[in-house]
Amino acid sequence: MAEQAYTVASDGETTGEEKSSSPFPEIAIGIDIGTSQCSVAVWSGSEVELLRNTRNQKLMKSYVTFKDEVPAGGVSNQLAHDYDMLSGAAIFNMKRLIGRVDTDPIVHASKSLPFLVQTLDIGVRPFIAALVKNMWRSTTPEEVLAIFLVELRVMAEMQLKRPIRNVVLTIPVSFSRFQLTRIERACAMAGLHVLRLMPEPTAVALLYAQQQQQNVHENMGSGSEKIALIFNMGAGFCDVAVTATAGGVSQIRSLAGSTLGGEDILQNTMRHLLPNMDSYISRHGIDEIQKMGLLRVATQDAIHKLSTQPSVEIDVDLGNERKVYKVLNRKEFEEVNQNVFEKCVSLINQCLHDAKIEVDDVNDVILVGGCSNIPNIRNMVMDICKKEFYSGMNPLEAAVRGAALEGAVASGVNDPFGNLDLLTIQTTALSIGIRADGNSIVPVIPKNTTMPARKDVIFTTVHNNQSEALIIVYEGNEKAVEKNHLLGYFKITGIPPAPKGVPEINVCMDIDASNALRVFAGVIMPGEQSPSAPFMEVRMPTVDDGHGWCAEALNRTYGSTLDLVTVQKKVQH
Amino acid sequence: MACTSFSLSNQTIRSTILPPFPACNSTFRRPLRISATCATSQRTCSSNVSTEYAPKQVSLYEVLGIQMGASCQEIKTAYRKLARSLHPDVASNNGDEFIRVHAAYATLSDPEKRANYDIEFFHRRRPAGMSTSGYSRRSRTWETDQCW
Repeated sequence: MAEQAYTVASDGETTGEEKSSSPFPEIAIGIDIGTSQCSVAVWSGSEVELLRNTRNQKLMKSYVTFKDEVPAGGVSNQLAHDYDMLSGAAIFNMKRLIGRVDTDPIVHASKSLPFLVQTLDIGVRPFIAALVKNMWRSTTPEEVLAIFLVELRVMAEMQLKRPIRNVVLTIPVSFSRFQLTRIERACAMAGLHVLRLMPEPTAVALLYAQQQQQNVHENMGSGSEKIALIFNMGAGFCDVAVTATAGGVSQIRSLAGSTLGGEDILQNTMRHLLPNMDSYISRHGIDEIQKMGLLRVATQDAIHKLSTQPSVEIDVDLGNERKVYKVLNRKEFEEVNQNVFEKCVSLINQCLHDAKIEVDDVNDVILVGGCSNIPNIRNMVMDICKKEFYSGMNPLEAAVRGAALEGAVASGVNDPFGNLDLLTIQTTALSIGIRADGNSIVPVIPKNTTMPARKDVIFTTVHNNQSEALIIVYEGNEKAVEKNHLLGYFKITGIPPAPKGVPEINVCMDIDASNALRVFAGVIMPGEQSPSAPFMEVRMPTVDDGHGWCAEALNRTYGSTLDLVTVQKKVQH
Repeated sequence: MACTSFSLSNQTIRSTILPPFPACNSTFRRPLRISATCATSQRTCSSNVSTEYAPKQVSLYEVLGIQMGASCQEIKTAYRKLARSLHPDVASNNGDEFIRVHAAYATLSDPEKRANYDIEFFHRRRPAGMSTSGYSRRSRTWETDQCW
């Protein structure tokens, strides 16, 4: 038995420690780290409760200020004014920056933020720094997130009077597997063990499933299957889900998401007010940072006011006789953000299409997230769904409540009244495939595949006597290869000499119960029972930070020499 | 999913190449607590997850435990009931059984796929002496049934 104590943990950073074998389950807490705000909730034994910080707040701002030696986050720290967050000393929007390379448009858009985001545009992680005593001190989104998570953990431990280890975190639908490893990394740095990472709208779907269950128990509901469309738009991300719910089982039918949110609306509006904003901020001097902070606060305030009033006056003094003065009305605001609203519409339509349902089949339309107050967003969803919105949830608390429910369910807690008799059947939001058929992606596990999943596709060689094949695994729904996320790559060697199109290269992908992705590949010659060389098994993602330039280097070095094509006779079901 | 033409290689991989699942995987979902022997025995079932219908294999209806003429509502109810006991979130298994159940559900809940499956299944079963009339009478319901 002694040897068993000396086991090597997996090399991957994603692998957490095993759960304690205590007979009393530790109830995992639910955490919703939003781009702008965050919250924590836990199953109290009879219902979900949101935890409050020492200032009695349920929603706390997501930022970390690097002032002195000890950084302070929005959980414990009290800002005298919003400007304090915009002095360059505070890092925020880490959810938009985590796991992205410096060629990413989202990273480039973040250069107008008060802290420093520097890019070299070569496909590596960007340089991020906070202003401390007039010096740019470097940090990383993972570090900022970890500091913030430690504060949340301290807060939860004080309130619940027990150590906190297990958490369920909500994540945006559009996050790649690489980004998930970054989130898990930040949690590990904060001493937290991720029990589940839940796409935000699926957490909302779980809360909805519980509410429907309760209605059935109270003889209010019919107990038959209900289809809900969930639209969740916060400061950083817009996510849509279609779920079919009955008997406490929430089957996710489709997911669609994009990095699109209040931050984009804010930046569009700021650029409208100050068209040369980007050149103004590019120097990143202390004076410019302060003036941009003023404009940001004024614009944010104006956008909030436009939700309830038809027009708003904006007056900001940028110094040196430069002023921004404008009366912005709602129509102009909507025109400026037309691109954002159009993208929202397309996400909803795509999600309905992928779920193979008509608008008339939707029983409930659930609008959550900070942007759900914007009149044009409400009108737009109303135009598509032609239905009153579901009113049973607090739009700012729905996701964290769902995460807390999942935390209780996943911790094995039983509720005598059946309130935790719940199950979410998740689907993949992004398809996973390999580069083949020239420069395109051939999905092996398409998007919206129910998990756990196992699928395979047969490929073949493109050259006569091709002895090797390069398997490059990508995740994403984009047509162009380079717009998807590189997860890893490996070579199949020892393909027996044969004319092109003859060897069968089987690529099998497996997403198991813990959402781990493994890729199996190998070659089998027609008529043979077993492979001539051992198959490969690779856990993904294997690629670390430099995934941007990595794909380019592979392409440059190998071109099409190790390419594959799909076998046409294969029928996809 | 696979067509018959490469089912052989499929099964070869699954039964001989894939190692048993590690006892504990990553942090995303509940860690698995299964023994290697258990995982290996379940793996053999997984090679049935496809639309190939070898005579000895159980039908998709049998996977869900329903009659051939079951209504969409019955299919859904059976699927949810099985999900509640087989999904790896609630049961200590590696998900193979759930994959099998979901594959059956995905085919039978789609009217077009169900029709194709029924035709193919019928052709395979007929030599074994299955009643034609009984089958055709019961199979009519799917055309008008909109599952979703």
